[in-house]
Amino acid sequence: MDEFQEILQDFLIESFELIEQLDQDLVELENTPEDLELLNGIFRVAHTIKGASSFLNFDVLTHLTHHMEDILNKARHGDIVLNAEIMDVVLESIDLMKALLYKIRDTSSDDGIDVAACVVRLDRITSGEGNAPASAAAPIVEEVLVQEEVSTPEEELDYDSMSDDDVEAEIQRLLSQRQDEDKAKRAAKIAAGESVPEAPPEPDAVEQEKKQEPKPATTVPVPVTPRAAPSRASREDEDDAKAAAPAKRAPAAVEQTIRVDVKRLDHLMNLIGELVLAKNRLIKINVDVEERYEGEEFLEELNQVVSIVSLVTTDLQIAVMKTRMLPIGKVFNKFPRMIRDLTRELNKKMELVLHGEETELDKSIVEEIGDPLVHIIRNSCDHGIEMPADRIAAGKSESGTVILKAYNEGNHIVIQIDDDGKGLDIEMLKRKSLEKGVITEKEADSMTDKEAFALIFKPGFSTAASVTSVSGRGVGMDVVKTNIEKLNGIIDIESEVGVGTSIKLKIPLTLAIIQALLVGVQEEHYAIPLASVLETVRISREEIYTVENRSVMRLRDDVLSLVHIGDIFEVERILDGSEHAYVVVLGLGASKLGLIVDTLVGQEEIVIKSLGDYLTGIEGIAGATIRGDGGVTLIVDVAALMHMAKSVKAKAMVEHSAGASKEKTKASDYTVMIVDDSKTDRMIMRKALEPLGVTLVEAGDGQEALNILKQGEKNFDAMLIDIEMPRMDGYTLASEIKKYNRYKNLPLIAVTSRTGKSDRMRGVESGMVEYITKPYSADYLSSVVQRNVNFKSEFL
Amino acid sequence: MSDKLKQIISKQAKQASELSIDHSEDIVQLVGFVIGEEEYAVPILSIQEIIKPISWTRVPQTPKYILGVFNLRGSVIPLIDLRTKFGLSPKKHNEETRFFVLKEGDDVAGFVIDRLTMALRISKKNIGPAPDTMAGDESMIDGVGKQADRILTILKVNKLLERDF
Repeated sequence: MDEFQEILQDFLIESFELIEQLDQDLVELENTPEDLELLNGIFRVAHTIKGASSFLNFDVLTHLTHHMEDILNKARHGDIVLNAEIMDVVLESIDLMKALLYKIRDTSSDDGIDVAACVVRLDRITSGEGNAPASAAAPIVEEVLVQEEVSTPEEELDYDSMSDDDVEAEIQRLLSQRQDEDKAKRAAKIAAGESVPEAPPEPDAVEQEKKQEPKPATTVPVPVTPRAAPSRASREDEDDAKAAAPAKRAPAAVEQTIRVDVKRLDHLMNLIGELVLAKNRLIKINVDVEERYEGEEFLEELNQVVSIVSLVTTDLQIAVMKTRMLPIGKVFNKFPRMIRDLTRELNKKMELVLHGEETELDKSIVEEIGDPLVHIIRNSCDHGIEMPADRIAAGKSESGTVILKAYNEGNHIVIQIDDDGKGLDIEMLKRKSLEKGVITEKEADSMTDKEAFALIFKPGFSTAASVTSVSGRGVGMDVVKTNIEKLNGIIDIESEVGVGTSIKLKIPLTLAIIQALLVGVQEEHYAIPLASVLETVRISREEIYTVENRSVMRLRDDVLSLVHIGDIFEVERILDGSEHAYVVVLGLGASKLGLIVDTLVGQEEIVIKSLGDYLTGIEGIAGATIRGDGGVTLIVDVAALMHMAKSVKAKAMVEHSAGASKEKTKASDYTVMIVDDSKTDRMIMRKALEPLGVTLVEAGDGQEALNILKQGEKNFDAMLIDIEMPRMDGYTLASEIKKYNRYKNLPLIAVTSRTGKSDRMRGVESGMVEYITKPYSADYLSSVVQRNVNFKSEFL
Repeated sequence: MSDKLKQIISKQAKQASELSIDHSEDIVQLVGFVIGEEEYAVPILSIQEIIKPISWTRVPQTPKYILGVFNLRGSVIPLIDLRTKFGLSPKKHNEETRFFVLKEGDDVAGFVIDRLTMALRISKKNIGPAPDTMAGDESMIDGVGKQADRILTILKVNKLLERDF
């Protein structure tokens, strides 16, 4: 049974590949019906599937393919001309074949799908009736005919009435007859006959043994071929021989390939990921070593090795990535057929032009991209392209064109779907969205054109006046958006009323190793997939506005809503940056968001690793990566982040009062910092303030004071600052402190021996509120401090 | 001389008897560690490794006891602070702090413990059930091990590795 399974698997893989090819070839054939080579190719495909399925006892499939083959054979010999009607039936039978193959894949049997109707239609064409122009007029009548025909297959019934022995004898007769024919042929032809003569007897024998008892009728289709039309059978065999010829004629088309389990490739990809991480680390270490041993001779050698390793790793990574790459043609191939069907279904005239089918991208992406493209193309055909009459009235050619093209752009692949239809009407989009309650009136008014176009991706939106089987249920385009976002892709729509619409999907080439922008917030770093980063801008605080409780900024002509990365990832913000901030403009699908970060670290190639089962599903985090220094950096899930941004309150840059408002219940709740380089001075101040009972913290110079503030362990109520100090003087310290939002209102008291007016002025400029000159009395100092910290008198 | 010989012989006999215990089925090998004031233990086979503290990265949107993730030779592994998880106040890591990397099936996580005690063998009869108030499927306690002068709380590794938020 295992062996059977193995054969079955091979059969399925081969059949699916062949059928895909068949679909495409047939549509092409319709355009160039006289292309004999194409026709031969199609015939061979049908024949191969028929042969294999009969060997595996898939009788329904065999039955169907057999009849299809008949038509193709006739066409090949010029007995019938393939026109659209015939093509419809042939394509229908191919669809049935697909359905059967799926059924076989899932259940290992091809029972349960009724092919009789289709077979009869095929037969009618074979017998010439199909060419009659009136064929469409009386389908029901013919349906009846069908039944009759099926129930009375002249000679087939004979088999049913025969005894088992008779059947066996008949089969034996047929076999020997065929073997004789084969022998004669083998004698005649030396070349290319190998597989033909030996193969048939065996399967037939097996089949016959198995089938005899349960359902003798099922043996019928196989022997029928040689008996009913022996002359044709021989023709087939000739064709088999011929089959080898064209293959030789076009040697370029024969590719040397091995089938490899995807799991192995995935494993290889994982290993490469590890290697890339190690490489990053090596490069970092190399830089450190260079700094430490500058001028040493071995550095040269180390440098060489590191650069070779890094070069080879990069090449290796690309090479392995390429093994996972498939041409996008694999996806594109199904669209000519789809357009053809749509043309007939919608009564429109449309043409599909494909460009760049050879563009390659990762297998996992190829698998994901199919559905979104189907939806977009259907949408273009259904809503975009007008009816032929309308087109002519609009002065366009009768037939609409949909152009599907793929090309590379940096680390991305762009898939563009253009149509020359009626374009998107912004007003209509807004009106519809309002009706359906997708947006509010206010939103509609403030919407840019791009935002309005993006409305078609909103769930529950459909502009089709009537729901057709093709589209209009308002589900499809929503799915497009979700799927593209899942791939970290961006959707861009351009449209002009009356001229057409162009939808661009920008998708990263691979998912495992990506380029990322590393950003910092406080001490933490996060990696943002570069694919979602549109640009970065540096802005000052004044450029941030608050609209309806949300922070926004103007970015050229657009209004961009802002959110601080720290608010999303619950980062404790001890220091709230300087006057300036960096905004990373994220774009996903058609929506944009400005993410405020403290620092931009740089661009790096990162390997995506999962956080493991324990931490799956953390909102906003797509995974983690290991950096050159061995640390872990989290990767931002841009789609989730955009979603989270909606619920984050508008405090992007709003000042925190930072706990200073905490109620004071005792004298020691007040904390005062003394900054002076002289220990004696510090002692004097301490002595003056100790009677108050406030908590005192000392710092030896400005730098130290600043570090204490940065740690943020204590909330200070006032600072006594000496002006002349080593490392950082009082003025610098004061202006540094004032840079932090949290300390904007912290009273800074200068305690100095400098008495000049200009010194006082500088003190005020740098943000000091009081200016005490040495020497001073302990009471005076104490009263100044009390006043500035709003010391409650009951603590005295 | 003969005394010494006797001593050696008796020692050997003792060792042999200990060895025989080792081979019997009723011995559980555990590794003990301290969190706060109490000593806990987990089966030695569930420990992938024990390492000194290294840097980790905070993961947002997680409970407090999840410190974050750290890099263990290329794998990203969650780090859980058992002090916080057991309701104790967090403590700064010191010389004795260790990361316990526990593994069961595909689940791996690192746990911060205050101090490592020792690897020990306890015969099964010295392991009592968890106190009634703490028993049950939901409890993290597998049993209580008694040894000479101390009591160990034996933890369920699968419970420790189970996500509970």
